[in-house]
Amino acid sequence: MLSFLSKFKHAEEMRESKDEILTGEIVRAMARQNMPAIGFKTVGEDQSIIFKPLRSILYKLTITVDRKTGGSRLSQTMFGSKAWITFNAQVKNHVADPDDLLEMYKTDAKNIFKSPMFGDVKLDHQLNSVFASKRVTVDIDNYLPKDEAGVQTLTNFLQEHINDVTEKLRPFKKG
Amino acid sequence: MSEELEKTFVSLVDASWKRYEENKRNSWMDDLLVGVVIASNVEAGYALIDLESDGVRHYLRFEKLATKERLIFQLRNLTEDLVGAKVLGRHAHVIMGYGKTTTNPSKIWQIFKDEVKSGMIDSHEPGVITFDADLTAGYVYAQVPLLLELDQYFDVDSQVNQPLIQNHIDATIHSLRKYLDGRLSMVGGV
Repeated sequence: MLSFLSKFKHAEEMRESKDEILTGEIVRAMARQNMPAIGFKTVGEDQSIIFKPLRSILYKLTITVDRKTGGSRLSQTMFGSKAWITFNAQVKNHVADPDDLLEMYKTDAKNIFKSPMFGDVKLDHQLNSVFASKRVTVDIDNYLPKDEAGVQTLTNFLQEHINDVTEKLRPFKKG
Repeated sequence: MSEELEKTFVSLVDASWKRYEENKRNSWMDDLLVGVVIASNVEAGYALIDLESDGVRHYLRFEKLATKERLIFQLRNLTEDLVGAKVLGRHAHVIMGYGKTTTNPSKIWQIFKDEVKSGMIDSHEPGVITFDADLTAGYVYAQVPLLLELDQYFDVDSQVNQPLIQNHIDATIHSLRKYLDGRLSMVGGV
């Protein structure tokens, strides 16, 4: 019998698995909105999930959960489970005509270089992509659903910020 | 003349993007499966408590927090190469496991292990239910490897047939639960 149980890290208390629980809830909430997960990355304490929005101008959307407090019992008691959640959205322009490409650089790229901040959303123009990112601080416990109303709270939270980055990118989407 | 050349260039780039996206879609197929399995199990009331990967195999663990029942998954895309995927269809090797805490897990695990002493058994064979144990946490698992056809779950635009995959997971977990409960009752583990 081949065991793969050793592949799992053994959290001593469920508190230590809160980031994973939140990740699972985010994946479910996004799947309900037709945004299936297509990538998972863990770098240090950061957990990033890449989504493919199926009916949107967005090419990709990455949500990163970076837990700042609450890893230990003491930290949980003193500060709760605070985390940064970063939304990074990308539009990709499939523009190849040299005249259109030149026009895009003359207007959009120049505007973004001049003023990359739109409120709390940062814009970045790279080759044929424009990225919008924003970071919000949350208490993980407020977004771990215990019932369907809790799922809706998390969904509303995600929708609000996804809409925000999407609208900032809309003027830069071609075609 | 210049207009014609630019038109030709645009069509070359368009065709390249189409091929590129097709390759991309195939390369993220295993992560798409991971995401769908997570979404399905969270919908079924399980919390994701572990997500690990060695780049080829992906490992997921869930817990129903109220009852402490656990599910484990090992997922591997068998057709990462686009040509293979087109010829054979997309397939994944999936091991699903259902676990519960038992009284005296060490004793029960020893009994189950003693049943498979011979090295002649191929535990990779699909559909064969085996047991595993996490003695530190007190869990005994029943698990089964399956070879699943991914094209039935995802269309070319990555649209997901969530009810079908949910049904397949439910059916497998139900059967594993029934088998584990039955075997535990035989060895006095319930």
